[in-house]
Amino acid sequence: MRDLKFAEIVRRNRELAAQLPSERVAVTVLGNIMLPQLKDVLEYGLRTAGINADVRMGAYDNIVQESAGLVDSRFVVIFWELCNVIDGGQYRMARMSDGERNALEARLVAEIDLVMRNTAAAPLVLWNRFSAAVFSSADIEENPLERLRARLNQHLDETAARNVKLVDIDKVLARVSVAASVDMRYFYSSKALYSTTFCKEYVLYVLPVLRAALGKGKKALIFDCDNTLWKGIVGEDGSDGIEMSPATVAGGIFQEVQSLALSLSERGVLLGLCSKNNSKDVEDILKTHPDMLIRNERFVAKRVNWDDKAKNLRQIAEELNIGLDSIVFVDDSPFEVNYIKSTLPEVTVVQVPERLHEYPGVMREVATLFYSLSRTDEDYRKSDLYKIEQARTRAREKFADATEFLRSLGLKVRVHVNEPQLIARISQMTQKTNQFNLTTKRYTEGDISVFLKGNTSHVFALDAADRFGEYGITGLCIACANTAGTARIDTFLMSCRIIGRDIEFAFMDFVVKYLTSQGIRSIEAEYIPTSKNALVADMYDRLGFRLLSDEGDGKRYALDLLEYKPHSIDHVEVAGGRAD
Amino acid sequence: MEERIKGVIAAVLELKPAQIHEGTDFKVLWNWDSLKHINLVLALEDEFQVQFTDEEISRMVTYADVKQIVTHVAASG
Repeated sequence: MRDLKFAEIVRRNRELAAQLPSERVAVTVLGNIMLPQLKDVLEYGLRTAGINADVRMGAYDNIVQESAGLVDSRFVVIFWELCNVIDGGQYRMARMSDGERNALEARLVAEIDLVMRNTAAAPLVLWNRFSAAVFSSADIEENPLERLRARLNQHLDETAARNVKLVDIDKVLARVSVAASVDMRYFYSSKALYSTTFCKEYVLYVLPVLRAALGKGKKALIFDCDNTLWKGIVGEDGSDGIEMSPATVAGGIFQEVQSLALSLSERGVLLGLCSKNNSKDVEDILKTHPDMLIRNERFVAKRVNWDDKAKNLRQIAEELNIGLDSIVFVDDSPFEVNYIKSTLPEVTVVQVPERLHEYPGVMREVATLFYSLSRTDEDYRKSDLYKIEQARTRAREKFADATEFLRSLGLKVRVHVNEPQLIARISQMTQKTNQFNLTTKRYTEGDISVFLKGNTSHVFALDAADRFGEYGITGLCIACANTAGTARIDTFLMSCRIIGRDIEFAFMDFVVKYLTSQGIRSIEAEYIPTSKNALVADMYDRLGFRLLSDEGDGKRYALDLLEYKPHSIDHVEVAGGRAD
Repeated sequence: MEERIKGVIAAVLELKPAQIHEGTDFKVLWNWDSLKHINLVLALEDEFQVQFTDEEISRMVTYADVKQIVTHVAASG
């Protein structure tokens, strides 16, 4: 996007709108300055990420009023510039008495609080932190604008609601430079402060947040080895000849890259290897080389062989149970990079830069592809959870009979009902679960809070464990009561970690029993097909629901709770859940 | 150059290049407003890497004026 001229962005934006699936994501931008280029640039950025966004620009300088009238906006973006909170704000602050400044600050704090309340129902609000950089970058001493900015930002930090993500636009200004970020001709003539260059860089900066909210974050980072994780070729230079420690310049750079990858792994990103090497050579390095920062256990999938890399990556995707479009692959070889780009276009491929000093910077940008809105305990334990799963798979091979194997697991599940402490994990599951997901609705923490606040919706979070260890919170059911004893299942999903163990039957038994106790007599449910959830096309049929209709856009079901026959799966023990 | 100018106008004003001719007046277009005006000028400045004066910007509301101003400014470098 950086290299495209504005007219080209406008043109391509229009083309993409027609090419993408027609389901629109509504975005509203509220601003107290003019932002003429932002609609096209923001739509284009989202559309290149496969999100068919419709951006509505709120009326100029009407942030408060517009915030009260938001209907159905999935995302809200707020540009609140100090230079226009009063006319000539950038210089008139210096003319004000202390009393006038305090009054202005009080007014702004009240407006911030009002906008925060008004936008509480929006799934996600991207709220730019107040900035004074444009008009202060030459000042050696702190000026009144900067003092006001500091206090307003502190207020934002203290009061930001769950659905608000504060955006540090000073970082964007730093990347672009203040001079290139603004066009003072348009600021003075039309209150349009920012340049097209700034708008592009802003969109690129916030795109990972929006992609994450829509379930499009990446999940796995797969590395080649030679000249990608270390300098040198282990097969030629030997384990002593490769460099990955600060003893050499190149070695220090590779250690930094390994450290960035390790940090991602600690946040829940899956690390893997795909390298053409003798597997023993690499194994030795991972297990014993003193300079290898990422230890063997951190890699959850490895394909170190002389096979075709496309075949290896496909196997890795299958082994990890993720789509190819969730994978980022890093390699130094232009041949491999181009090969994977052409054979597996869904994979994001990154080439190690020829100028090695650029490599850590490239990896910092790559890290944003894995951005996740919610940080949960599950993230930190992700690699462990995969290792435990591999142990289960090995145990499975010892049983001829699937049912015997399931009985041997000693599965225990516990259902938490309407538990606020699980909001982050619940939201994360809706964003990341693709296969066992009946309706694929993506929810932010703000959305889940709304479900919990109302007393007409019930949020069931399933926690599972077996003799090998815990699976964690891996199942979710959201039921919304209609009037007169009926309810609708809005969401029913399970992490792929617990598929194939009949847990869904035990889960639905619990949900039905609970809803019955709440006076619900019948429930409706639906299956909305996507490219990834064919697995559950007949799930409701198997759970005992009655099929009402089966059209191209989905299947509708109903269940009379009095007629429901509990499945009572004997190899799954259900512990009582917490009631409301 | 004329094709590039028409290309930019077509993109921003949602027209086909063939619809743009000497007599085209943007002010009568259904989707013309001050925002479109700013975007058109920004797009032309980006395309030709030039900057227009306030006076030139205010005159760029017909194809004939745009063509004359852009050609003149781009030529003087």
